[in-house]
Amino acid sequence: MSQDIEKIKQKRKEWEEKVLKPALDRFWLKESPTKFYTPADVEGFDFLTDVGFPGEYPFTANTYPTSPYIPAPRRGLPGASGLVRAATYSGYGTAEDTRDYYMEMQKRGQKRGPNLAFDLPTQCGYDSDNPLVRGEIGKTGVAVDTLRDFEVIYEPFQGDLELDNIASNFTINGPCNIIVSMYFALAEKRGIPLDKLRATPQNDILKEFIARGTYIFPPRHSMRMFRDSLVFFAKHCPHVNITSVGGYHIRGAGATREQDLAFSMAILIAYLQEGVKTGLDVDSFAPRFSVNAFGGSMEFFKEIAFQRAARRMWAKILREKFGAKNERSMLLRQPAGAHMGYENCTVQRPLNNLTRSVVGAIASTLSGGLPIPMPPYDEPLGLGWSLEASQLSEDAFKILYYEANLNEVIDPLAGSYYVEHLTDEIEEAAWKELDKIEAMGGAVAAIESGYMQREIAKSAYERQRRIESGEDLVVGVNCFVGENELEVQTTRLVPHPYDPTKRERAEDRQIRNLTEVKKNRDNRAVAQLLKELKGKAEKEADNLIPHFIECAKAYVSEQEMCDVLREAFGEYQPATI
Amino acid sequence: MNEGKRIRVLIAKPGLDGHDRGAKVLALGLRDEGMETIYTGLRQTPEKIVQSAIQEDVDVVGLSCLSGAHKYLFPRVIELLKEKKAKDVLVIGGGIISPEDIPFLKEKGVSEIFGPGTSIKEIAEYIRQNVKAR
Repeated sequence: MSQDIEKIKQKRKEWEEKVLKPALDRFWLKESPTKFYTPADVEGFDFLTDVGFPGEYPFTANTYPTSPYIPAPRRGLPGASGLVRAATYSGYGTAEDTRDYYMEMQKRGQKRGPNLAFDLPTQCGYDSDNPLVRGEIGKTGVAVDTLRDFEVIYEPFQGDLELDNIASNFTINGPCNIIVSMYFALAEKRGIPLDKLRATPQNDILKEFIARGTYIFPPRHSMRMFRDSLVFFAKHCPHVNITSVGGYHIRGAGATREQDLAFSMAILIAYLQEGVKTGLDVDSFAPRFSVNAFGGSMEFFKEIAFQRAARRMWAKILREKFGAKNERSMLLRQPAGAHMGYENCTVQRPLNNLTRSVVGAIASTLSGGLPIPMPPYDEPLGLGWSLEASQLSEDAFKILYYEANLNEVIDPLAGSYYVEHLTDEIEEAAWKELDKIEAMGGAVAAIESGYMQREIAKSAYERQRRIESGEDLVVGVNCFVGENELEVQTTRLVPHPYDPTKRERAEDRQIRNLTEVKKNRDNRAVAQLLKELKGKAEKEADNLIPHFIECAKAYVSEQEMCDVLREAFGEYQPATI
Repeated sequence: MNEGKRIRVLIAKPGLDGHDRGAKVLALGLRDEGMETIYTGLRQTPEKIVQSAIQEDVDVVGLSCLSGAHKYLFPRVIELLKEKKAKDVLVIGGGIISPEDIPFLKEKGVSEIFGPGTSIKEIAEYIRQNVKAR
């Protein structure tokens, strides 16, 4: 082998001299605009160690032995037999508005549980009647103040779609344990045992400090909340995922590919350590870790390599750093794979985003995922704008899956000199950055000092600088914008799925709902429960979730609980950058 | 503008929206364009933003919001600036602002809205031309 490599290296020199150079000279080029990779670029490559079979350590080829999501032909939407999944991200206005939306979707055949988007006051631990959050109620998702709101949202989910038959997703981080406790309270009131519930809360608080921004408490107290959920779910809710880590938020905030991978892994390590510190065996909870969507950019091959590197790195971390024995602990479980990166959508000529998302979808499939073109092309025009855009994305998925047969092979680029080289390169750079963070004391310390925030801001600015100088090109934004270009605009013919008049009045209606709840509940019981919460919050070892469930059942509001915790834990003050 | 006095810009995030990539990039970019920039950080109330604008004696307030709450938050900042007799401050905005909302915001006193994909140079140029002499 090594002799072959020497021969190839020698041959490469000759090729560069005799073939490449004259070609470059002919076009007055100093260096080649294209690269070419050979076995010499993956010296020491060993298929069994570096790639392996799909569903086997180190999972470079794929998380599972086969694609787990086998869409039923002609039955429409991709659904996996045996897998219960939540619907697409949705929710707006008041609980009633969101309930009505789900009823409408069910009339159109939707059989999946809700994937709930919450408004920002809910995500940041404020009630709808707080004057500080005026203008925000029901805007980015549904407003949830008390259990009453969950009772209303879940009205359409009964009978065949009872809570033990559906999966729910909650995009909630800072107050995750409180919101999940409201769901648990709802289940208990309906007589459904917690061990029958399927749910995925995002519960990825550390990323909120460096991207997305819906933190409440300081990092260390937030980690205690995380520990509570890990321990409680591991013990009582075997089908509830502990966290759904989102590397793509970090990328969206401006991180480079390597920073994204290293920071996400550092965050995942911090979460694993919380579980290990409580004395739990890593194999008892790591299989309930999931990943939302890692990565995201238009750089096709690099994103494919990124996914492969991420799977391998995670597997190594679990086996080598944490001594996991169960291979299920080592799986980087994510419903989606590579994608274009939401931040690369352009508001200019928005239909081009469909083209971009299809490029991302192909990268997704070639790296072990489904060809899901995400997001819908109208993402930059405002959240969830049109059903037309969603339909186009779903059709693009079906075309790639059924017509192009993209999923008939797993990891088709395995063994490609270029892709294996890239995979190694990305993983190596991420390990280097991860080691640096570990030397600082891990993710929590790197967030407290502002290191991650500063590095991400620097990378974001660097990207902007490259766009402005023309080093990085974005079609229709910094190039191909001459007067001869046709500015293609879209017309939206299908009405917005969320009723605009309801949206307009959501704030007042939700405040009325909450006032009503606060008037009719047993306020002495509420005061007593909050007093007890204070006592428990001050005892570090206490798991607060059982008490949150009791509070939820008594219709204690989210902010009432959060305010007690704010007093006990303090509030996060961002590091200056 | 007095000759030689650097333009002072406050970049602010009103409301609860946590997406501040654009705000941070613009704060850094306008600094490199020769302006003095201050970034408020996340979760500022209109009251806090106006207080900072006055304390820091800025010429420009740049508001960034991606949550859809701009129709309440931006006009509220302008209202408070007027109350505090700081109506000469140039107010510009950005984020995810649907085109339908722009006439409303301009009527309320937002001088210009810069959407995604706008270059820093374009914003800097706009500021230089529109900042009021004080």
